[in-house]
Amino acid sequence: MAPRSLLDVDDLAPAELVGVLDRAVAFRDALPSRSLLAGVPVLNLFFEASTRTATSFTLAEQRVGADVISFAPGASSLGKGETIADTALTLHGIGVRVIVVRHHESGFARRLADAFDGHVVNAGDGTHAHPTQALLDLMTLRQEFGRFAGLRVAIVGDILHSRVARSNIVGMTMLGIDVTLVGPATLLPDAFASHGVRIERDLDALLPSLDAVMMLRIQRERISGGLLPSLDDYTQRYQLNRARLRSLRNDAVILHPGPYNRGVELTDDVLDDPRSRYVAQVHNGVFVRMAVLDLLVNGAAVAA
Amino acid sequence: MKTLIRGGRVIDPLQGIDANRDVLIENGFVTQIGEHLDAAGVRVVDASNAFVAPGFIDMHVHLREPGQTHKETIATGTAAAVAGGFTAVACMPNTEPALDSAAIVSEVVRRADAAGLARVYPVGAITRGRAGAELAPYHLLADAACVAFSDDGSTPRDARVLRNAARYAADLAHCFISHCEDADLKGDAVMNEGEASMRLGLDGSPGLAEDVIVARDLLIAQDTGKAWHIAHVSTANSLELIRWARGRGVRVTCEVTPHHLAFVDDRFDDYRADSKVNPPLRDARDRDALRAGVLDGTIDAFATDHAPHGLDEKAQLLSAAPVGFTGLEIAVGAYALALPELGLERYVTLLSVNPARILGVPGGSLAVGSAGDVTVFADRPWTVDARLFRSKGKNTPFDGLTLPRRALATVIDGAVVFEHGRVLPREEVPA
Ligand SMILES: [Zn+2]
Repeated sequence: MAPRSLLDVDDLAPAELVGVLDRAVAFRDALPSRSLLAGVPVLNLFFEASTRTATSFTLAEQRVGADVISFAPGASSLGKGETIADTALTLHGIGVRVIVVRHHESGFARRLADAFDGHVVNAGDGTHAHPTQALLDLMTLRQEFGRFAGLRVAIVGDILHSRVARSNIVGMTMLGIDVTLVGPATLLPDAFASHGVRIERDLDALLPSLDAVMMLRIQRERISGGLLPSLDDYTQRYQLNRARLRSLRNDAVILHPGPYNRGVELTDDVLDDPRSRYVAQVHNGVFVRMAVLDLLVNGAAVAA
Repeated sequence: MKTLIRGGRVIDPLQGIDANRDVLIENGFVTQIGEHLDAAGVRVVDASNAFVAPGFIDMHVHLREPGQTHKETIATGTAAAVAGGFTAVACMPNTEPALDSAAIVSEVVRRADAAGLARVYPVGAITRGRAGAELAPYHLLADAACVAFSDDGSTPRDARVLRNAARYAADLAHCFISHCEDADLKGDAVMNEGEASMRLGLDGSPGLAEDVIVARDLLIAQDTGKAWHIAHVSTANSLELIRWARGRGVRVTCEVTPHHLAFVDDRFDDYRADSKVNPPLRDARDRDALRAGVLDGTIDAFATDHAPHGLDEKAQLLSAAPVGFTGLEIAVGAYALALPELGLERYVTLLSVNPARILGVPGGSLAVGSAGDVTVFADRPWTVDARLFRSKGKNTPFDGLTLPRRALATVIDGAVVFEHGRVLPREEVPA
């Protein structure tokens, strides 16, 4: 049975998750025909602006032949829960079968999926989840190491506000990756230390042991919000820079979900470093999203 | 008018009665408690196989009138009260406008009289408009029937304002009731801060947001000598602080809600606001501490924090949906569900004796000469169907659960206002 919706990574069983990645690799090696989702109306419903994710989804939808509709209602309208059910009914009525949704509130995708008689793909909800981003990160790691079990990965920075980190924690622990979270207590409360995830505050001590390090974006408003004393103070302990790159093994890789803040969580040295996989991540994103749409709409794999 | 509550097991902690007795009420007052009283020519309430207690008093409800009558009215709220076994309720001042003037309070009293159901005791605001800046007119409010003061829903952010309020009102016996929640620490939270909020990516309010205000208010209570009541305690630390303050001679009491005794913060997986409440449902450690606090006597009173809202309001996104549950019609069973080991004497003390004592209102005893307010209840399992509530609020986390206990009859001033599942306004009772 295929899942109706992908709201977070754990809507997929581990074997299914690996199946999606296999399929994404197959699509990358040879583009499928445009008949996979031929004529299936797919709505991109982005309440929150996101050029990269929206573009990646649109390209993926076009490559599997879907009828793509894009709608950006903005943050203000359709936000009220009392209209979720009505909206879902209307969208179903006009024939939409898949909704790719991004919303600024955690749980919006879940609420929409509960009301919508069709497939919902969560393209990011509040600080909760961003499963296709986690899948493309996993695809990038497997491409690099050929395995998941036993890999040592650190996620560094603002874990508290990161839906990417949450979905990666879910996906990585599912697949046997050894995950360590690194950041100051204001952005990484102790309550995250559970379900086989460890918390460390000392990035320098950890770096030499890692197979991969994922750097998260730090937003300047965290200073005015009282979560950081200054960016200088933060970067002194948590920035990936030239000095810390020397501690990272040669066969390790650097991930970043983007967009990054140069000079904050990382320096230009990192972007120029051969271990950085930013481009591969973006590239893999399109194929992962094609594979997800194929799985949700068509169920078990069909010939590519 | 004479009413006889016949054949029940009377639980009257103040008189030390726990035995099968008949209770006779004449002209609004208890005139006899005894065995096999003469039933000739009197209205009889059959209490066989049931318990008979001094009327239950819910010292923390929101009746929403004036200002939000789409959520509840004094008439629907007091109908819910008597259907739940309550003879009296204290209504909180966070109405629109707030209960901060004698005129508004008098209007509430007038409407409660017109409804003719539960007794309604208004709680006046501590600050004008509950805005935390200017003191409310306590003596005028007391004259207009207020029994306590509270800015419930929030607390004065400025400790100097609260201290001055307590000093000014020191000559009144009326206690201050604190809603303990630091607005800054709470932020935009929709639930408790903890493992569940981290996992779900939801803003959480730490127990600390309650604890720091409990500590502040207890110190102000100590400083001013004012009697203080902590509303809806929800954390283990709050209870520790209350024990500490009592050890220092502070006159402090506290209450707990059925939902904080029964549930924890693992209920948000569907991202619906059905479990959104202030203070938020905490974790198992806090819930266990609350249960222990009831059993060891730290907690003085049960109170529902009955907070009705429209279904469409609660159906909004978590961030937009209002806080609170309807509670009056499930309370009698909900406390028994959460605390099956609680003895009946202590149960009645928490629902009747202590609320009457804390508020300084009639009730809490069936001694001869007491008000003829009686609650008849029984250990009879029933399944909650919130759609059938008299309250306009249909939202409760107990919906669909089977509760072990329920109210069977409610008598006020000797008038039967609830029996056989029917609510009967006092005017319609044959004299
Ligand atoms: Zn309150």
